[in-house]
Amino acid sequence: MASATTTKGATGRGSLNTVLFYVFLVAFVLVSVFPLLWIFKMSIVTKTELFASPPTILPHTPTSAEYAQIFGDPAFQQALVNSTIISTVTTVICLFFGSITAYAIARLRFRFKGTVMTLILAISFFPAVAIIAPLFIQYAQVGLIDTYASVIITDTVFALPLTIWLLVAFFRELPVDLEDAAKVDGATTIQAFRKVIVPLAAPGVFTTAILTFIHAWNEFLFANTFLLDPATQPVTVAIPNFATVYTVDYGAQAAAAVVVTVPLVILVLIFQRRIVSGLTAGAVKG
Amino acid sequence: MASASTGKKGRSWFKEEFGNPERRTAYYMVLPSLLIIVVVAFFPILYGVVLSLTDSTISGFGSFIGIENYTEMFQDSDFLEGLSNTVIFTVVSVALEFFIGLGIALAINRAFRGRGLVRAAVLVPWAFPTVIAAVMWRLMFQSQVGIIQYVADSLGIISDPILSSRTLLLIGAILVDVWKTTPFVALLLLAGLQTIPGEVYEAARVDGANVMQRFFRITMPLLKGAILVAVLFRTLDAYRVYDLFWVLGNRELASLSTYVYEGVRISQLQFGPGNAAAVFIFVTAFLIALFFIRVLGMRTSVEEE
Amino acid sequence: MTERAEGSGVPAGRKLNRRDFLKMGGAGLAGAALLGTAGCGGGSGGTGQIIFTMGPDTDGSIAKLIKKFNEQNKGKLEAVHRQMPSSTTQYYDKIRTEFQAGTSDVSVIGTDVIWPKQFAPQNWTMDLSDRFPASEQQKFIAVTTQVAEYEGGIYSVPWCSCPDAGLLYYRKDLLDDSGISAPPETWDELKEMAVQVSEDAGIQNGFVFQGANYEGGVCNALEYIWTHGGDVLDENDNVVIDSPEATAGLATYNSMLTSGAAPEAVANWTETESLANFYNGDSVFIRYWPSAYGGLGDTTQTKLKPDQVGIAPIPVDKPGNPTFSCLGGWEMSIYANTDIEEDAWKFIAFMTSEESIKERVIIGGYDPSRKALYEDKEIAEATPVVKLAKDVLLKNVKSRPVTEYYGDTSLEMAEQFNSALKGDISPEKAVKTLQKSLSQIMEESK
Repeated sequence: MASATTTKGATGRGSLNTVLFYVFLVAFVLVSVFPLLWIFKMSIVTKTELFASPPTILPHTPTSAEYAQIFGDPAFQQALVNSTIISTVTTVICLFFGSITAYAIARLRFRFKGTVMTLILAISFFPAVAIIAPLFIQYAQVGLIDTYASVIITDTVFALPLTIWLLVAFFRELPVDLEDAAKVDGATTIQAFRKVIVPLAAPGVFTTAILTFIHAWNEFLFANTFLLDPATQPVTVAIPNFATVYTVDYGAQAAAAVVVTVPLVILVLIFQRRIVSGLTAGAVKG
Repeated sequence: MASASTGKKGRSWFKEEFGNPERRTAYYMVLPSLLIIVVVAFFPILYGVVLSLTDSTISGFGSFIGIENYTEMFQDSDFLEGLSNTVIFTVVSVALEFFIGLGIALAINRAFRGRGLVRAAVLVPWAFPTVIAAVMWRLMFQSQVGIIQYVADSLGIISDPILSSRTLLLIGAILVDVWKTTPFVALLLLAGLQTIPGEVYEAARVDGANVMQRFFRITMPLLKGAILVAVLFRTLDAYRVYDLFWVLGNRELASLSTYVYEGVRISQLQFGPGNAAAVFIFVTAFLIALFFIRVLGMRTSVEEE
Repeated sequence: MTERAEGSGVPAGRKLNRRDFLKMGGAGLAGAALLGTAGCGGGSGGTGQIIFTMGPDTDGSIAKLIKKFNEQNKGKLEAVHRQMPSSTTQYYDKIRTEFQAGTSDVSVIGTDVIWPKQFAPQNWTMDLSDRFPASEQQKFIAVTTQVAEYEGGIYSVPWCSCPDAGLLYYRKDLLDDSGISAPPETWDELKEMAVQVSEDAGIQNGFVFQGANYEGGVCNALEYIWTHGGDVLDENDNVVIDSPEATAGLATYNSMLTSGAAPEAVANWTETESLANFYNGDSVFIRYWPSAYGGLGDTTQTKLKPDQVGIAPIPVDKPGNPTFSCLGGWEMSIYANTDIEEDAWKFIAFMTSEESIKERVIIGGYDPSRKALYEDKEIAEATPVVKLAKDVLLKNVKSRPVTEYYGDTSLEMAEQFNSALKGDISPEKAVKTLQKSLSQIMEESK
């Protein structure tokens, strides 16, 4: 799929270009990855070395104390649990509503499709901050403040456009006559669905699930607004607030940042091909 | 039956749409999503508009006061600071992300060794939750433990503590956003580049077009769709910035969104102007989107194939 | 293309129903289970259970005292500690939201000293005048009961740690080496000593404090304003910040940076950064709360030993003028809508008794709010700062200008003080801006 590029073809300039190219690449990779490495280093040194000036490049006094501290901290464990529950439930709900909506949009024909899609698109432009006050008031009235539901409901709405967008792209890729072909071969509707549609749609749905999960995990505004009790707060709210009565613990913050990010990074790296194709398919095909 | 597609006044289109069981099914299928969207997003914004015209607080509905909240908001120096920060942030970071992203996309638009590694490196910043990225960079900017503060001090670039200076914080925020999102923009543009068939370039080269001409006459126009999508989404995301400013600046860095949040959740007397600002953000975001779609001619991905 | 779907026998849409039905069932069950479990703040109010809200019990003193109370009142009363966020701002946010909703089941609230005057106008706390008469109030340090007064009533009982107050810590050993035998009495002396001693000893900073744009920054700046003879509000709650004295105070505040006595970075430092710097041996002086003393000698926290560090009152502008320390600390209130007022009071009476306060002070290294306990030998041993800073704590602590809308007042002050500290605006401009904005806020509470 590589198309012609704009680099020149002459051999002399070609090898210089190649060198520059790889230098550029290395720099690019380093810049992308450096912060994570640095924060990791911050998380494995002692507090005294943390405040040393000039800062040390390689750890002189490595210690796992910070990790022991955060893993032994029930508040942090609770935050991880909260994030997991909120993100998982949001993803499931989004997949449910999103898939039936996406299927209708991708495979069925109906008059107001354009309006529907515009409405969904409008949500992705919608400034969520504009409704935190009205939502807070309403949630408070029905007692949903400090419950997972407040964040789940709100974030579902704002994650739906992404879910639908991705699933529409995936459903559109499925061959048109799939269901019919299976039935012509004698399958019942359910069999056709299970044996033909599901296996083909599964990768798309799976990728959508990952991306929706990452989106929900990332959520901060609603959690910060509706979840006041630290027992309900997810990691995005808990980590910046890593505080005892007076102090902010930098080492612990660094360790927590690493703990929360590394699984996501690994997840993304494992599924990078799928993720990239999913995101770009939606964008390019519109 | 198809001829009843125009003119919503005729009754037959209604029957055609909702009488047909398959079409009805389609509507049932999209209804839940629409319902939740309308209930959770659109009704609240209407309520928000109503609130902004009253002197309500978070705990009680007040009386109608017209546009007083809006005049107060426009005279509030905090609001103006948030507005200017947001505009500067949006323009600069989107511009940087676009140009750097385009450069990266062009540069890696070919097969080479290490492509997988590069793709991975592209995704690492993107995988970070924004809030965690902000925490990380804030640690690096911090005057006692921060590597960037140290390096910048040593090189003599700056003498102030980064976290004390609102200007430096804004620059820092732009830096973080560019670090985090440029890879993503590059990815989108790269995908767009890869849909341009190589033969087009060959033909142009045969016709004697040079690099610049090929770039501006072929690449850019064919890439227009992807560019507009990328730029519109990035612009609106930057315009709505909250997480990054709130966590990186620890309340020192103001944006339109942080102004709203402070007004409606932190202070007790600024609920009115805060709400007015909420409506302001909504209206202006809508106008920006409209501009891109109508004026710049962006496709809104609704087309049937 | 999609037209084909409509041509087939069974509508394409129906085919997804079974899978989605299963998903819906699963999601629904999961959702219901979660909605049910989420959101319990722990400790549901059983019949007569006294729910006491307070931040984390970091040293176990609260648990111990509650156990004692429950044993003494076995069968009749039971108290339980409902843990609140460790960040005071979050705790305030949470309890305020619960009060606004009107459905809280708490009875006793552990309250920061700046909350009684904010809660009382909203009728969220009970007037304790008949249970806590003047004769009892006198047993506590005056300023700690003054902050609880509102329109003739009294709305909380001082507890501990209370009073927390700003103190000037200094490196006795370094001052000795430089030939200085006594800590500075005035701000000018502090500046000179800071610069001189840090140079002599070859360490990074002369003086560090908490100058960031937050509540702690307000406390720091107020100490400068007060010691120069200025104030924010007068006895009648009029805004008087626009005065030559307050201006002079902010000018001194800013001069800490411009003279080089303090590093520029203090303008975004809170307790963490400043204490870390001092504990690391990188500063000669620090302005901090009494809790800094407890860490000395603990090698996991710092290499400094208690005999290296001395405590002095906050400096003043001219010798002989009175010193002022900013008040912090914790008290106890009763929630206005509780059904068990009697029981709640019994709990408060127990927790604020001489015995209980003494026990908590010794376990946690806090300051007591009862005057009598300052003579207590055991406390003096367990919390040396009580002995060393006795005069300051008993007499020279002053409260922030708390009124109904203190939240907004505090935001304004924090920002202006911080800008003045950094030199972004002149002290004159800062006080004039504050005069205007604070007057507007005070208008609202009339």
